[in-house]
Amino acid sequence: MLLVLSEEYKEHLAVLPQVDPAVVSEFGRIAVEFLKRGINSKVYEGAARKLGFPITTVQHGVEGLMFLLTESCKLMISDIDFKDSVMVLGFSPELNEILLQLYMKNHDAIRSTLTQLAPSLPSYHNLEWRLDIQLGSRAMRQQVVPMVTMLLHLTTDGPDNRRCALQTDPATLLHLISVLEAALASVKNNRARRILRNIK
Amino acid sequence: MELSESVQKGLQSLADPSLFEPSGFRALTDAAFRSLLSGHADRRVLEDPALEHTERVLLKQCHAAATTCILEGVKHNADQSTISSCLEDLTFDAERIEIFSKSYQKHKEELEGVLANIGTQPPHINDASWRLQYHMKNGHVHKVNEPFYLLSLNVENAGLEGSAQDINFNCTVEQLQDLVGKMKDAAKSLEKASQM
Repeated sequence: MLLVLSEEYKEHLAVLPQVDPAVVSEFGRIAVEFLKRGINSKVYEGAARKLGFPITTVQHGVEGLMFLLTESCKLMISDIDFKDSVMVLGFSPELNEILLQLYMKNHDAIRSTLTQLAPSLPSYHNLEWRLDIQLGSRAMRQQVVPMVTMLLHLTTDGPDNRRCALQTDPATLLHLISVLEAALASVKNNRARRILRNIK
Repeated sequence: MELSESVQKGLQSLADPSLFEPSGFRALTDAAFRSLLSGHADRRVLEDPALEHTERVLLKQCHAAATTCILEGVKHNADQSTISSCLEDLTFDAERIEIFSKSYQKHKEELEGVLANIGTQPPHINDASWRLQYHMKNGHVHKVNEPFYLLSLNVENAGLEGSAQDINFNCTVEQLQDLVGKMKDAAKSLEKASQM
């Protein structure tokens, strides 16, 4: 699969052949850094002053690289396809190689960053449990009721993770185990395996 | 088992043959157990033909006394003989003691269930449902291609924490294995504990 790059985009990246390859590497480093930590516009000012370019040119260059990297990671483009896609930009072989190395080196990290952006429900993190026996209460002085108290940790998109204190009785616990084991078995059966193999 | 003065007075009235005929006594005893077990208050619990001629205030007083006595008995796990001797002290005759304590014994287990459910406790899991899904791609990443589960824990009595909803969450196959493994650990420990 090849990347389709628009004319406007090609213009934005036109700054790259005009500068030293070392500067392109530096742009690449900044682009990766911004993808990890967010854009810091002060960096654009500093680089623009040093190179004697307008700020927007530097900004277009770096953000162009960010787009190139995220699109390639999103589509999981192979190294050969990446080379061919970049070829369209008409850069020197040396520049193409720098971009390819940049992509190969940061592919996994960028992909994992992108994965976190996907909308998702709270997801399972951990389960703690303990066994309790209820011995008495205000309304009933003498009881022997076994209970499993559980603390379910969930990871949410937001900053605070959710913890749910839950309780269940032994019979329900066994029922839950059998239901969830059936769930685990269903991903391993032939039908599911065939479907998973064929959706690519 | 200690009963307050007003309860004792109510029970003594109930024991009095001049106030309650045998049929009236039986009807009131039944009404007392029924009102404790029915779950919701029934206004007509005291509207029985056998109780028609009894004064309403007295009837209510005796009904309250009888239900209190029953609840106190169940709460302290009093057996049939304890109830019998308690009623004997309150001048019940043998026949009435027999009727009352037999009903008590008959309904005791059910009443224990009612009382054990009173009080606060964390939300109780009743059931779990699941859905197996295959994550293909999203707006940010293509070719994700990972199976995952959507679990929903059906929870009861969650009103205390202000959320009566089920608990929904995602987990990968490995995470579900982890979850089931931990539940199995708990089940194993439970089994061991029950053999002690």
